[in-house]
Amino acid sequence: MVSFENCIDEKINQRVVALQQVFANNPFKGFIETVPAYASLAVFYDIGVVRKHHVISSTVFDCVKYFTEQLLQDLNDDLPVIKRPTITIPVYYNGADLALIAAQHQLSEEEVIQIHVSKTYRVFMVGFLPGFAYMGSVDELIATPRRLSPRITVPAGSVGVAGIQTGIYPMESPGGWQLLGQTPLKIFNKEKAHPCLLQAGDEVQFVSISKTTFENLYEY
Amino acid sequence: MSIKIIKPGMLTTLQGAARSGYRSMGIGGGGPMDNFAMRVANYLTGNEDEFAVIEMNFPAPEIIFLQDALISLTGADFSPVVNGAAVPLWTPLFVKKNSILQFRKPVNGAKAYLAVQGGWQAEKWLNSYSTHLKVAAGGYFGRALQKDDSIGFTQTGISFEQNKIFSWHISEIELDKIYRSPGHIRCIEGIEWKLLEDTSKAGFEKNDFVISDQSDRMGYRLNSQPLLLMQPTELISSPTDTGVVQLLPGGNCIILMADHQTTGGYPRIASVIKADLPKLAQARTGRVVNFTIVAQQTAEDALNQLEKTLREIKTACYLNF
Repeated sequence: MVSFENCIDEKINQRVVALQQVFANNPFKGFIETVPAYASLAVFYDIGVVRKHHVISSTVFDCVKYFTEQLLQDLNDDLPVIKRPTITIPVYYNGADLALIAAQHQLSEEEVIQIHVSKTYRVFMVGFLPGFAYMGSVDELIATPRRLSPRITVPAGSVGVAGIQTGIYPMESPGGWQLLGQTPLKIFNKEKAHPCLLQAGDEVQFVSISKTTFENLYEY
Repeated sequence: MSIKIIKPGMLTTLQGAARSGYRSMGIGGGGPMDNFAMRVANYLTGNEDEFAVIEMNFPAPEIIFLQDALISLTGADFSPVVNGAAVPLWTPLFVKKNSILQFRKPVNGAKAYLAVQGGWQAEKWLNSYSTHLKVAAGGYFGRALQKDDSIGFTQTGISFEQNKIFSWHISEIELDKIYRSPGHIRCIEGIEWKLLEDTSKAGFEKNDFVISDQSDRMGYRLNSQPLLLMQPTELISSPTDTGVVQLLPGGNCIILMADHQTTGGYPRIASVIKADLPKLAQARTGRVVNFTIVAQQTAEDALNQLEKTLREIKTACYLNF
């Protein structure tokens, strides 16, 4: 595990995603995969394969730590900026908590929607559920803490906020995020070789759509 | 060729080798809870490690074989009977067409495995036969088995004499290496171990932890004297792994098991060593678990030893056919 800092910060997450890229481009023998989070990267490896291909003076863990430190050094010198195309996600803003969020911040529902679509969001990480992208950061004007009691079912495609984070439920699930609306797009499709629409490092732009457009685009 | 499910049992699923390479998409490893028993079940029928097996809990399913089959049962002992006669675990078994397999009562363990020569026909999703219940993919239509389901198999690979009585089995000595002192689980310190109060650090190794009935394939919830952090700490979501011991806000712990989420926000105070996961998987609700913190070196040596045992069993099985 490579831990940077315990905070949600775009610069730090850029380093996490850059390190993920460096591992993907320079995998050591026995490397399996990395998992990026807000400010840390987990490195998974096959201990048997590492042991077979490398001279181990102490533990396999120390050996992998050494590889990681080498890669981190390269990272310090020249941070590769990974720029991916912005992904547009249509949302029908009819969420169950929209009125509540508006009231809490003394805004109209339309103002809440305008603030939510007014900027692009970075996908910091994918976790919790298959394909659930944690994005940020939401304008403080509409940032709202999680519901005190989570819902037993949140419909697939629901777009919500939790504090300064925003995210989309890829499938029906229990959940505590405050719901703004719903996207008609399948952001997780198990039939595809790459089932997730979003990955860490992506940029996302939400756009507000009408009920009719939502129904026309509905993929579920 | 196939079997038919007469009674489904509780959460009977098809599991192959764990899924690998998709954790960054939030798709965890999954796979069998007891990786050792699952792999040995495959070796006993001449299969490769990753072939699909049936994972069973108690109440276990009742199954009819519509063809002759070479099978094996490993893991938990639920008193298996074929046509009413007791059959042994950890050995190849020849089962005649129209035989009925039932399980009478749980004697020990929590997860039993049923393998068939050639493997059960299962859907491969993202390179694994394991059932992903949340996504409803892999295994048998991505779900637990139900009454009247038919699961196919193809007898290929090694040849064997029909009706043969198999006089060999996995020895107690080998099994003892994996499952001895069942309540004793070794851990390495977790990333947030340092955040624990000193008394809680000591308590982690001294206290009894009881596996609660709120435990499943995602995780084992433990009841114990509450453990405390030096100061309340909120973590942003971070990666997790099977065996990670998380400290919940109330002071109780949860151990992440096969179907755990790939990320989480609770402090990761310890990690169960990989070599002790089969033993933990076989621990039933209500069992008391005690933890010991060991060095990274010990954890790696133990895993190395486990893999060596598996290689030896695999070779011995193949030589016996």
